[in-house]
Amino acid sequence: MMDVAIEEKTRTFIQVSEIWVPDGDTLIHGGGSYGDLGAFEAASVRESFALGEGLPGKAWAEGSPVVLKEFDGSYFKRTEVATEAGLTAAVAIPVFDGKTLMAVLVVLCGDDDEHVGAIEVWEETDKLLMLKDGYYGAAKHFEWVSRHTHFPIGQGLPGGVWSSDTPMLFRDLGAGYRFIRADSAGKAGLTTGLGLPVPVPDGATFVLTLLSARGTPIARRFEIWDARRQKVGKAGGAVLVDGVCERNGPLWTDENISAPRTAARNQGNIGKVLATGLPVIVSGTPKFTEGYDTMVALPIYGDGDIAHIVAWYV
Amino acid sequence: MQKLVIIGAGMASGRAIEHLLEAAPGAFDITLFNAEPRGNYNRIMLSPVLSGEKTYEEIVTHDADWYEANGVTCRFGEKVVEVDRARKVVVGEKGEVPYDQLIFATGSNAFIIPMPGHDLPGVVTFRDLEDTGAMIEAAGKPGSRAVVIGGGLLGLEAAAALRLRGMDVTVLHIATHLMERQLDPAAGYLLKKDLERRGINVILEAQSKEIVGNGRAEQVNLADGTELPCDIVVMAVGIRPAVSLAQECGLACGRAIEVDAQMRTSDPSVFALGECVEFEGNLFGLVAPLYDQAKVLAATLTGGEATFAMRELSTKLKVTGCDLFSAGDFAEGEGREDIVFRDPARGVYKRLVIENDTLVGAVMYGDTADGNWFFGLIKDGEDISDIRETLIFGPGFLGGDTADPLSAVAALPPEAEICGCNGVCKGDIVAAIDGGATDLGALRATTKASASCGTCTGLVEQVLAVTLGDGFQMPTAQPICGCCDLTHEDVRRLIKSQELKSQEAVWQELGWKTLNGCHVCRPAVNYYLLADWPIEYQDDPQSRFVNERNHANIQKDGTYSVMPRMWGGMTDAAELRAIADAAEKYGAAVKVTGGQRIDLLGITKEDLPHIWRDLNEAGMVSGHAYSKGLRTVKTCVGSDWCRFGTQDSTGLGIKLEKLLWGSWTPHKVKLGVSGCPRNCAEATCKDVGIVCVDSGYQISVAGAAGMEVKETEPLATVKTEDEVLEWTVAFIQLYREGAKYLDRPYKWVAKVGLNWIVEHLSDADTRRALNARFELSQSVYRTDPWAAEVAKSERYTPLADLTLEAAE
Repeated sequence: MMDVAIEEKTRTFIQVSEIWVPDGDTLIHGGGSYGDLGAFEAASVRESFALGEGLPGKAWAEGSPVVLKEFDGSYFKRTEVATEAGLTAAVAIPVFDGKTLMAVLVVLCGDDDEHVGAIEVWEETDKLLMLKDGYYGAAKHFEWVSRHTHFPIGQGLPGGVWSSDTPMLFRDLGAGYRFIRADSAGKAGLTTGLGLPVPVPDGATFVLTLLSARGTPIARRFEIWDARRQKVGKAGGAVLVDGVCERNGPLWTDENISAPRTAARNQGNIGKVLATGLPVIVSGTPKFTEGYDTMVALPIYGDGDIAHIVAWYV
Repeated sequence: MQKLVIIGAGMASGRAIEHLLEAAPGAFDITLFNAEPRGNYNRIMLSPVLSGEKTYEEIVTHDADWYEANGVTCRFGEKVVEVDRARKVVVGEKGEVPYDQLIFATGSNAFIIPMPGHDLPGVVTFRDLEDTGAMIEAAGKPGSRAVVIGGGLLGLEAAAALRLRGMDVTVLHIATHLMERQLDPAAGYLLKKDLERRGINVILEAQSKEIVGNGRAEQVNLADGTELPCDIVVMAVGIRPAVSLAQECGLACGRAIEVDAQMRTSDPSVFALGECVEFEGNLFGLVAPLYDQAKVLAATLTGGEATFAMRELSTKLKVTGCDLFSAGDFAEGEGREDIVFRDPARGVYKRLVIENDTLVGAVMYGDTADGNWFFGLIKDGEDISDIRETLIFGPGFLGGDTADPLSAVAALPPEAEICGCNGVCKGDIVAAIDGGATDLGALRATTKASASCGTCTGLVEQVLAVTLGDGFQMPTAQPICGCCDLTHEDVRRLIKSQELKSQEAVWQELGWKTLNGCHVCRPAVNYYLLADWPIEYQDDPQSRFVNERNHANIQKDGTYSVMPRMWGGMTDAAELRAIADAAEKYGAAVKVTGGQRIDLLGITKEDLPHIWRDLNEAGMVSGHAYSKGLRTVKTCVGSDWCRFGTQDSTGLGIKLEKLLWGSWTPHKVKLGVSGCPRNCAEATCKDVGIVCVDSGYQISVAGAAGMEVKETEPLATVKTEDEVLEWTVAFIQLYREGAKYLDRPYKWVAKVGLNWIVEHLSDADTRRALNARFELSQSVYRTDPWAAEVAKSERYTPLADLTLEAAE
């Protein structure tokens, strides 16, 4: 077990993460991490959303990720408490198993001027990935560049995820990638990028990217677990195929030297995702979350089962 | 200290140094030359560095600091110009170093096709960090294009990585399908399709003619007239062992430096390993055999015996999302049969090649989960004829669905009780884990969960696994024996919770793999059953050790010893007369024991019932000198006779023995009662020791005076004899209900902690309940087995049950 050293209070890009799960015709609260935003939490746990209602309901109805950057006058249901909590934008990521909605993960951000990072939704249009929408906080130049960028299949983080149908983790976003978006990413201080496919019922291609900056990280630790039957066999479970951690360094292993980490159903947080099929958010118990305050683990479905799990810790 | 010089700081030599330092620390003064200006990194992970999916820092395995910390003198960035074997010196650019032993680990160089333009700037290979940096640099220009010559492992990894970097990439491959050494055409087809899906252009049967450009590579021209404009050309067409230095110094070389199975070259002081060696005509390019060589070389240098042998190799491609596996030989041939599985919808292809009922090759694309299992079958040459029908579906098909052992614990709510003894629920344990108790010991200390009888240990470990994931390693459970998969603790817990009251019930319900258990598990299960269900379960003599079965201790000459009970060590003239008569009648040697008894040695098996009957007739019963049960209560003469005696220690000893005799326990139990702190009865090294004092009685437990010597630890101080009896019985009953079979009390106490026992027994209701349960058991077992055996022998001679293996 790792040594746990609680970090000083980190300024994070994402301030709230929450899960909404279907219960009949509505989505009900299924857990979350709210930090010290107690009033917003209290309002949220009482909330529920019908199909098309509010942000989670909209992601459900549209069958795609939704970025919302202006609460006032929008369909967002908790505008007042969110504004009081300093939250200004939100992204809803639906988790579909085929045509069945399993959950909606909502992340909320705020205080644009201080927070650098990016949450992007890329959508295939005419065989190119175009930015559907994104939230960038203070990374305005990077936002402008991104809105004028497209990715052919196989290129860059979004194109790589698209072509491989697999989550990918890119390091040193600003270094080495000399094309314009990378240059701008470097200037914005973006370091690590997690890209993941978001399967939706109509088969359209969506790629979500979380681009983390050092000062206001989306996460200090990222993990990608492979749970596909063709990888783990009939025994099931998941195997850690890639990951980086500010404290522990690289999390992958060279199979010639040592076996990778694995998680069986119900074994730890990843095991809980495998067993329940739902996203898991754990916070306030660093011993359970690799020494970090909060962990978000998100399943990605394929072929009728969980194919991958991505987890981020901050 | 021997002077060891190594030329080349690559993966093979890095591993060899690790082994050397481990096997013989301080034995070698090591100097390491490396032409690259850095230490060792995991070269096979350069592809993900190229793609941006790893950083260089992540793949470093031995940097300069590591070598320095391990006392290795590094000459990095310095080429070796000569090896003078006559003088035993290595000559570097900055001077020479003498050696006692020398290792060549010079690796290999990328092969460059000598086509026109091959030496233009912009033509790179893919061998090291410099090459990787050059390619990253080239990818920096928007819209840049790359041509990769070579559709093998390395070329395809480079192509996929450059595509991720944003380049337009074309792969040129001379053969009819990609990776033709590792894949068959069907898998090669799927791989090509996969790469094309990534936007990579693949041209097969491509005849590269020339590279042209104005001062740098700008275009590759093919023989068929195809022109491929580009900004960089990557040559990935193979490697050539780097052997020029070895050749120059006169070492025997074929295609590479020739070595024997101890990695020794033609010069006994010079060794070689890695991609620069040739062993029995074989060259090496994959890392697994290099690591084998490193191990063998380290053993050779440290005087050990190890032999390098060729082994089967498997291949995987490091392109994210591309699942490919190949191993063994899959060429078609006479006597070879294929088993092929295709799932077009999932893009899955699997082919197994079988020859003489063994698996000789496997190629898999799209589903590689069973790759290592197939690889194992190939390596072991296992006969697969019995599983041939289902072989292609992998081991999962053979074994049925796998269990999910954690599901039950994961489903428990926080308020569910895990440790019944201490009333600890799941939520308490989870909170304690969060508080820092991340192993069993810490959890016991903080919550007392599993700190008493220990039967919930498995459950507590499962809570740890559910909570911490693989941050907690489930200990490998030691089953009782090969008959089952359960530990002693599990079996005890399940006998109680499932109310299993017969051996047959245990065998059936707990999944015993044998008909009737074995000589290891049967005595334990027999004890657990009789301890938990004294009324319902009948003791099974066939499940007892031979001495317990015969109610006497067998001696080295095959005769037995017979020891009648002497309550509290007291006897009288009549008993002594009867003992003397018996000794004379049956020719016994007479020995006074350490436990204040008289032992009659040398009794034949046939005479046992007779001597028992004689002793019974004189009023004596078995002394149970052979049992896992109460043995003796040793006493001093106490206040009746002794000037210092504070209490009637003899009388108390007799009462204790009369209360406890006949009881079965996990292991033998011995008591001592001393009348004063002078402790003449040596009570403080017994399982239970009572020392009488003016104010009452000091009860202490968990002593030992055998292989291990240990003083007892205080359990309680009480005022009356009745309290001594109550506390002692309570302690012994707790031991009977909780301990693992064959754990003496001191071992059990060490496991559960004396504090818990004291706390538990301090509760009067608990003591009373334990006494009641003990008394219930004694209602069955407080009898003389000799008398029963005498009666039996006078009635009939039993037939042996030949289905039961005797417990020894």
